[in-house]
Amino acid sequence: MIRLLDSTPTIRLGGMTGMSGAEGVTEQVIELRLPSRLGYERIAMDTAASLARRMGFADERIDALRTAIGEAVTNAIEHGNQADEAMKVVVLLTVRPNELVISVSDQGRKALEVEQTKLRPHIADVFQRADKGGWGIWLMRELMDEVEFTLAPGGGNLVRMVVHLERMPISDQ
Amino acid sequence: MLEDELNVNIRHRDGVAVIDLIGDVTTFAEEKINGAYRQVTAQGHRYILLNFRQNDYINSAGIAILIGIVTEVNQNGQKLAVSGLSPHFQKIFRMVGLAQYAEIYQTEEEALSAFRRLSGVE
Repeated sequence: MIRLLDSTPTIRLGGMTGMSGAEGVTEQVIELRLPSRLGYERIAMDTAASLARRMGFADERIDALRTAIGEAVTNAIEHGNQADEAMKVVVLLTVRPNELVISVSDQGRKALEVEQTKLRPHIADVFQRADKGGWGIWLMRELMDEVEFTLAPGGGNLVRMVVHLERMPISDQ
Repeated sequence: MLEDELNVNIRHRDGVAVIDLIGDVTTFAEEKINGAYRQVTAQGHRYILLNFRQNDYINSAGIAILIGIVTEVNQNGQKLAVSGLSPHFQKIFRMVGLAQYAEIYQTEEEALSAFRRLSGVE
């Protein structure tokens, strides 16, 4: 059961039934509004994993999705919203026939620099640094089929990720 | 509740310090993992095994903590191995490059026999 503080996360299920021609394409959107507190990323991870399982994704892809969405929400909490619990992280999960689209937006206390979204850390360099982090966005890019950083309509950071249903899992390096 | 505490347990087997990491390896785990590493290092252990529990959650903050441990292991001339990782996290350890510095074994027993061979050779 999810009940924490006075800011309870909400889960909303919206059926956007856009009938497109004879195919009758239905897009289902699940929306999560999470407080900016570390730990809540798990709610997004669990919800996305449950959805992906029902869509028929392979276990490896579901694990990759869990990691990627966990990193995206953690970034939104810690960086974008500066861990201000009153600020929300909004996660939209859009189910399409052959893909799952995940968008994570924050309220943009702090904007992501473009260079931060393109980091490729190397472990040998990281040993020399006091801060051993910086792997999150790189992992998202490695694990998802598409990753794109833009600004949210309200001015925050928005990351949009897509994982394709029929693509084979990325091979081990 | 959502901070899901990590339980860290230290055991000694065949001259190897086995550090069990039971729970999630995220930013909340930093003190416990570093504390366990410092403890076994103060006891003079050269061989250290981080024994994970399948399917727990390791995120990039957890990876940063583990890279910190590897940095010290290298400086202190110790040997580090890991066991119990799910296939997903084995893959991530290889992607990040951690696997170059900490040998990955499926089980604790496999890691211990590798350490036995190593200590026999050295």
